[in-house]
Amino acid sequence: MKPEIDVAELKEIISHSPQKPSSLIAVLQDIQRKFHYLPPEAIKETSSALGVPLSQVYSVATFYSAFSLEPRGKHTCRICMGTACHIKGAPMALEQAEDQLGIKAGQTTPDLRFTLEVVNCVGACAMAPVVIIDEKYYGNVRVDKMKRYLDGVRDED
Amino acid sequence: MECEMKIDSPDKLNAWKEECLQKDAKLKKKVMVCFGPGCLAAGCREIYAKFEEILAERKLGDITLESFKKTGCHGLCEKGPLVVIEPEGIFYNRVRTSQVKDIVEKTLAKGEIIERLLYKNPKTKERVLKYHDIDFYKKQTRLALRNLGHIDPDNIEDYVMRDGYQSVAKVLTGMTPEEVIDEVKLSGIRGRGGGGFPAGRKWATCRGVESDVRYVICNGDEGDPGAFMDRSIMEGDPHSVLEGMIVASYAVGARDAYIYVREEYPLAVQHLYQAIDDAKEHGFLGENIMGTDFSLDIHISRGGGAFVCGESSALMKSVAGEVGEPRAKYIHSVVKGLWDKPTVLNNVETFANIPLIMNKGGDWFRSIGTEKSTGTKAFSLVGKVENTGLIEVPMGTTLREIIYDIGGGIKDGRKFKAVQTGGPSGGCLPEDKLDLPVDFDTLTKAGSMMGSGGMIVMDDHTCMVDVAKYFLKFLVDESCGKDVPCREGLYQLHKMVVKVTEGKASEADLQLMEHLSKYIIMGSLCGLGKSGPNPFLSTVRYFRDEYLAHIIDKKCPGGVCRDLIRFEINDKCTGCTACIAPCPVDAITGEKDKIHILDQEKCTKCGACYAVCQFDAIDII
Amino acid sequence: MKIQINGRWYEAREGEMVLDVLRREGIDVPALCAHEAVEPYGACRLCMVEITHEDWGGWKGNVTSCLYPVEDKLIVQTHTEDIIELRKTVLNLLLARCPNSPEIQKLASEYGIDTTSFVPREDADNCIMCGLCTRVCTQMGFNAISVAGRGYGREIATPLKEAPPDCVGCLACVKICPTHHIQYEDIGTTREIWGRQFELVKCKQCGKALITREFADYLIENRDIPADYFDICDDCKRSGTARDFKKLVHWEEKEEAEEEVSA
Repeated sequence: MKPEIDVAELKEIISHSPQKPSSLIAVLQDIQRKFHYLPPEAIKETSSALGVPLSQVYSVATFYSAFSLEPRGKHTCRICMGTACHIKGAPMALEQAEDQLGIKAGQTTPDLRFTLEVVNCVGACAMAPVVIIDEKYYGNVRVDKMKRYLDGVRDED
Repeated sequence: MECEMKIDSPDKLNAWKEECLQKDAKLKKKVMVCFGPGCLAAGCREIYAKFEEILAERKLGDITLESFKKTGCHGLCEKGPLVVIEPEGIFYNRVRTSQVKDIVEKTLAKGEIIERLLYKNPKTKERVLKYHDIDFYKKQTRLALRNLGHIDPDNIEDYVMRDGYQSVAKVLTGMTPEEVIDEVKLSGIRGRGGGGFPAGRKWATCRGVESDVRYVICNGDEGDPGAFMDRSIMEGDPHSVLEGMIVASYAVGARDAYIYVREEYPLAVQHLYQAIDDAKEHGFLGENIMGTDFSLDIHISRGGGAFVCGESSALMKSVAGEVGEPRAKYIHSVVKGLWDKPTVLNNVETFANIPLIMNKGGDWFRSIGTEKSTGTKAFSLVGKVENTGLIEVPMGTTLREIIYDIGGGIKDGRKFKAVQTGGPSGGCLPEDKLDLPVDFDTLTKAGSMMGSGGMIVMDDHTCMVDVAKYFLKFLVDESCGKDVPCREGLYQLHKMVVKVTEGKASEADLQLMEHLSKYIIMGSLCGLGKSGPNPFLSTVRYFRDEYLAHIIDKKCPGGVCRDLIRFEINDKCTGCTACIAPCPVDAITGEKDKIHILDQEKCTKCGACYAVCQFDAIDII
Repeated sequence: MKIQINGRWYEAREGEMVLDVLRREGIDVPALCAHEAVEPYGACRLCMVEITHEDWGGWKGNVTSCLYPVEDKLIVQTHTEDIIELRKTVLNLLLARCPNSPEIQKLASEYGIDTTSFVPREDADNCIMCGLCTRVCTQMGFNAISVAGRGYGREIATPLKEAPPDCVGCLACVKICPTHHIQYEDIGTTREIWGRQFELVKCKQCGKALITREFADYLIENRDIPADYFDICDDCKRSGTARDFKKLVHWEEKEEAEEEVSA
């Protein structure tokens, strides 16, 4: 169910950065932001545009957590698993979210609506546990409220 | 920005500073709305929007929207969203959008204080008007954090007004690079990222390497979970980082500098870009700074989401667009670093201190702190304390002073169990270590380390084996995978700790884990592996009983490890039904006003009911 | 310059690594991820040695000898108690990773480890993640394969897990792999490796398969090799030379015989 990729658009995004190897991570981030993942065309086009061997682009794309080679959902629910959040019950919040969405952390719902992720500390430790849905931060999350947060996003769809 | 010209001399800078101060003096009141990481998560955007909305309609005499500032982290995150009214320092806590109107009508228009928004001292129960009078603030010495909460980071005039860029003017027009390095050496400042290497010596070595090109890099990767000091500085006072980097680049002879910001900090990137643009516009970056022949450009390089890229050689690979694999450092990166050129890599907080050292002198800096750890250190004090937040204290302050005097002690009337410092490379220290001074060397001797400044306080409802498991899992996920001891060793160590939490381990396993730990430390290529076993070793050292309880008694004293605990409803249950819905497996049944029943067969020990119960009616056994 | 190893002094050359000296002098220190054809990597940690120096005030350190440059009067110990224990731990861990590899079993056994103390990897293959294959591929100039992922799940992979477009079937990766993990197959005039199929060039004389067309073309274009070099295999070239040489020798005898007859 992978979406069609507009190669012209892809090339345009790649052209924003200096066309040299040191731009690799920045270029892949721009592509990831736009398409919500790195399609195979992205790996190939980036390789030729920046002069980096295909295998090396692939290495970088699979090394860093920011990148996904599988399509991600329209909405992202990130649960912070930093130390402060961990001791304030983040694992419970994660369980509730996994239960609610029917997927495990790192996965996307089959209808491509939600991706559930864990992040290692977003720096809002004083408000632990922290959950971020799309760009919105929720601090001092109560485990029983997880369902409400997710339901709220669904309604806006 | 009213000032159009380039500031190319100390005189012009001073004139501009005067202008800014005069302009600022015209504002009778200033309303600082904290936009620090904690307050952002607590909803400060809505608060600010509400102020804007009201002031669009309401005329308040000489208070206009110009009096309102979005600042960086003020510090007491626990009480956010924070609104501070200057010049008095009126400190409003936990402000809600619905209360904004009152603040405008009562406090701003009539000078009336809203009591219930003030900080309440948990011991004396008294309300405190000004933040200066709260212990949390009184006992701090905010140097690296000097501007946080007091300026709008996107407004360079706020920065200039508070002595911004004075050190650049002083250094470029009046000191040689060698003199700058000598001053930094004199200050004794050691790397604030955790490594604690003397910065002056690092700069001197770099300058001493024959090369046509040298680089300066700021490590903004802040990977330790629980640490947000660097994030706060980058977001709340980005110019202080730039200023420090300009001085460093001049001292070592760099033409290009980089700030490496972790992928998870998009706001930091935003504020830094704004600051770089503004600095360039006014001549603090670019060609011929301060009318001299020193030129510098600062670039931002973003991480891709990898903790290991906080390690210097991996970071430099990442800047070059490669996989962040560390390398053996028999030839240091200060000699052969970014693109094999001599490179100085320092932490955000280190750079933020540099302007102060240059303006007030190395002697002044070394008069603070201890002999071997000069100056102050910023900490993110989080976990089970009353006052969680961002603090800064002189080196040598004890853990007890930080946790009790500033932190206000343990929350919810519980008992202190341990304090974790140094992130995944650090360790946990128990109660009898609370009088240790915090500095680069003392905590390390005790089996932990100060690290970058993350300080997580744990109470008696914490399992130290679970904490070790948590950190090991983190490291297993973040290991780059290059060398065997780290990749295979930490994986196996984690697996064995999991066995302990499941009640399936033996004492022989514990011995094997200690043996394995020793050789992971000896054999690993970089700091991640070398310090990886620390969370396990420090908890086994100070909480061995707890490990043995899991292994021999098959019990979890902290009440956390699911395979070894039970939840039971006791007779305090009022039958309020609050716990029934949150249970993911419908294990609780009961009618209103009757004691509920928990089906042990179904119970997955998730703790949802425990979190919700207001009556202490659920026991963890 | 001279360095001391296990109590004896040896010659060392500027710019070489301690491991180079160990190898030259036949001192047995294992090093699974090092090979003279490629730059050292420092991943297996087996070649670790203890170093010190009279100028270091008693300070000792443990370093990987493959990456440590020699310095004058360096003092090296290759078999301290801790070093041996470290090698045992590494081999123990590798045995958990690759329980079916004969090479790892043998090396581990030499250090007294016959079964692993740890949890064996599920569906374990024989790849020890030494990185020699990817490094030699880069060295050869092809960059066809690389290391994908991070941490315990790291693996050697082709880009996007598809047949690698940059591979020429040179088999350098196969030859350098210390556990013979990488598979390839030559059937008739086809070579299959990494999911790709290559046409094998045959010797015009004896019909033996020599080299892939792609690799031959690469060498001819980039390494100053004559275009017809791969028409004849080395064996046939040698036989041809020997025949020619024989003809020269017999030709003298033939002249003598003819002279006798005419005399």
